[in-house]
This record gives sequence, structure tokens and C-alpha cells, in this order.
Amino acid sequence: MTVETLPARYRIASRAAETHDTVTLGLEPVDQPIGPHLPGQFTMLYAFGVGEVPISISGPAGPGLVQTIRSVGAVTQALCEADPGQVIGVRGPYGTDWGVADAAGRDLVVVAGGIGLAPLRGALLAALAARDMYRRVVVLIGARSPDELVFAGELEAWRAGGADVLVTVDRATAGWTGHVGVVTQLIGRAQLDPAAALVLVCGPEVMMRLTARALCEHGLPPGNIRVSLERNMRCGTAECGHCQLGPLLLCRDGPVVSYTRAAPLLSVQEL
Amino acid sequence: MTSAGTAGLADHAFLRGMPAELVALLADAAAPISVPAGYRLFDEGTPAENCWLLTAGQVALDLPMPGRPNLIVETIGSGDVIGFSWLSPPHEWQFGAQVLEPAAAFELDGPAVQALCDDHPDLGYQLALRMLAAAVRRLQATRIRLLDLYGPPGGGDAG
Repeated sequence: MTVETLPARYRIASRAAETHDTVTLGLEPVDQPIGPHLPGQFTMLYAFGVGEVPISISGPAGPGLVQTIRSVGAVTQALCEADPGQVIGVRGPYGTDWGVADAAGRDLVVVAGGIGLAPLRGALLAALAARDMYRRVVVLIGARSPDELVFAGELEAWRAGGADVLVTVDRATAGWTGHVGVVTQLIGRAQLDPAAALVLVCGPEVMMRLTARALCEHGLPPGNIRVSLERNMRCGTAECGHCQLGPLLLCRDGPVVSYTRAAPLLSVQEL
Repeated sequence: MTSAGTAGLADHAFLRGMPAELVALLADAAAPISVPAGYRLFDEGTPAENCWLLTAGQVALDLPMPGRPNLIVETIGSGDVIGFSWLSPPHEWQFGAQVLEPAAAFELDGPAVQALCDDHPDLGYQLALRMLAAAVRRLQATRIRLLDLYGPPGGGDAG
């Protein structure tokens, strides 16, 4: 086992419930921290005695880590239920990043579906921290319902920081007065400039495919669309092959991939 | 509710590409309106006699829930069309519609439009194509919502 594949010990410094099944953990290194990370990259989080899962980094660059986890299985459930003070293992950071600075001088648009907002949050915070570098910063969010909107408490701060934020939900609940419909319907309402936008998309794979298609119909070149793909990441170092998608090993060549490269891979059965 | 002329009707996304002479015919049955937030365009079960080409604001299609706030089915924004029930029997609204953000629209008089289409089948054809395209977009969006893409992942080896 190389140093790169050994988990570093991190202590849970904070725990915030985002929704009924999703929490955001703030992690501080116990010993030597992992290397610096960029928005869009992921780590392998290890719940000792339970197992290890790939989780996107949802916070800005810094010595600590912010990671948002949805409870969908034994390991993520253990991580979601972990209390502040508990120690977990962290490997990484792994994979490609969003390349936020590539949008300098242009519009930066992020399109998120469900918990797909988590990997985009770091990119958005980086853009807002250097707001003058970009023309418009646009955030389009689709959620299952208002109760299942992650980072709901931050939307006003993002708006105040100079982002145009539009949210839509699949199912409205009492008191909701925002958009109701699919996230692709927000694309027209955002009045994007297709010639000068870099669009970062993250969410369920079907949502990303439909969003990318809708963006192309609005005139966006596929090369200006980036998606975050996910397969069964295990080693994180492109050795085990579990995360292979056609010619890509997504722990190394992804998760962030240009739609030009991803499009032909997303419609192939059993790839 | 306020209204002015029909200038700009041809620029509405719903009518984009329609020959100018047909838009001019349609203008006879169209009136621009502005309505405040909270205004109800129509209610479920009432006669459906109009449709609206929204140019600004946001409108919610809703269903009444006795004892509770109306349930919002979908929101419609600028560039979209609101109102399909005027086209076919029983010519009654199946949902209600309430303005969420101050809205502007071209209100089309349904019976007048139908009379125009009877007299000018080429206008009827152009409108039918556009209504069908709008209905298909609405149907496809509804199907995607039915997939419940953001719901709990099923099966697989989720960690």
C-alpha cells in the first residue's frame, strides 16, 4: 500500500443536516492533511469498520475539507450518522476539477440537480470569491421538493454575492412560490449567452444528458459544457478499473469531463 | 388589469416564424394585458375561453386543496403559452392559474381565434403546430418529473 492510498485521519469538526438524508461534514486533519484540492475533485472517505466511498468535495480550498454526503447505503449512512469529534479516514484528492478559471471574462453557469449541487458548490464559491473575473455567474438548481434542496440557507448569500440563482422543484409543497418544473426549463428563463458561457453540470446522469441536450439546443457548443460523471470509484488511482467508462477511468480522467468527450459514452448500453 | 396595443406580438417566441400576414390576422383577436401578483387568470372547472402568450412574469398552474393552500402543478414563464383547455371539449379549465410575479401577456380570445382559423385554415394550421409543440414540451417535462430523478437511488451497490 503506497502513501497515496493510505487514508489520513480527519476529525469531524462540524455536522450540518441539509435534508432528511443528507449532511455536510466539516473535517479537520488529525495528522498530516491530504494534498490541496480543487473544486470538482473527490476524496475517498473511510468509515472505519464499515467501508469506503467516493464523495465529492463541496467546500472551498483550504486546510480543512467540506464534504456533503447522502445516506444511500451502509457506508454513507455511517458517515451521515457520525458525530462531531469522531475520526474518519480520507484519501485523495482525486480526479479532474471543474476548471472554473476557464470561464474568466465569460459567463459561468452551473446547473445542478439534487445533490449534484454539492460538487458545484466549491466552483461557485471560487467564482464568487473572484466575482470580477466573470461576467454573469448563473446558478440553475433543480430539486425534488423544497424540503430536499441542499444548501438552501446559502442561496440568498450567493445572490448577494453577485450570482443569478434560479431554483425549480419537481413537486411543490405548501408555501412554495418558486418555479415548479424540470431544471432544463430554467435554461430559457436564464437568458444565457450561448457564445460566451462555460456551463458546469452535475446531477443524475439522465438529468445531465437532458440538460446538455437542452443547452446545445440553445446554441451552446458541446465543448463549453462540462459534466461530472460517476462510476464505481474504488482505488482512486486508476489501477483497479472499477470506474471504467469506455476509454476513461473516471477516478483519474473524471469526474469532470467535457461533454464533447462524454456525450458518445452516455448513450451506450453496458459500457 | 391594464392593456395597450398588440405591437410585439410577432416577436413572441410562440409565434416566431409565423408569416406576418397571419400574425396580423391573429392580432385582431389578441389584447396585451398586465396583471399583478396574486391575480387569478382562471379557476378549475370554469369555462375556458382564452389563452395567454406570456411576455413577462411567472404564472402557476394549480389545483385547489380544500383546507390547504393550492397545490402548484407547474410554473409558466415568459415566452410560454398558458391555456390549452379552450381548444377542446368540454372547454373547461382543468387547473387554475395564478400570477406569482407581476405578469404581462397577449390574451387571445378563444372563440375569436377559432372563428379566424375557420376562415383562414393556414392560420389554423400554424397555430395547431405551435400548440402541439408546446403541449409536447409540457408532456416531456412531465415525463421527466415522473422519473423522480432526484429520489433515492434504487438497486446497485450504493455505498
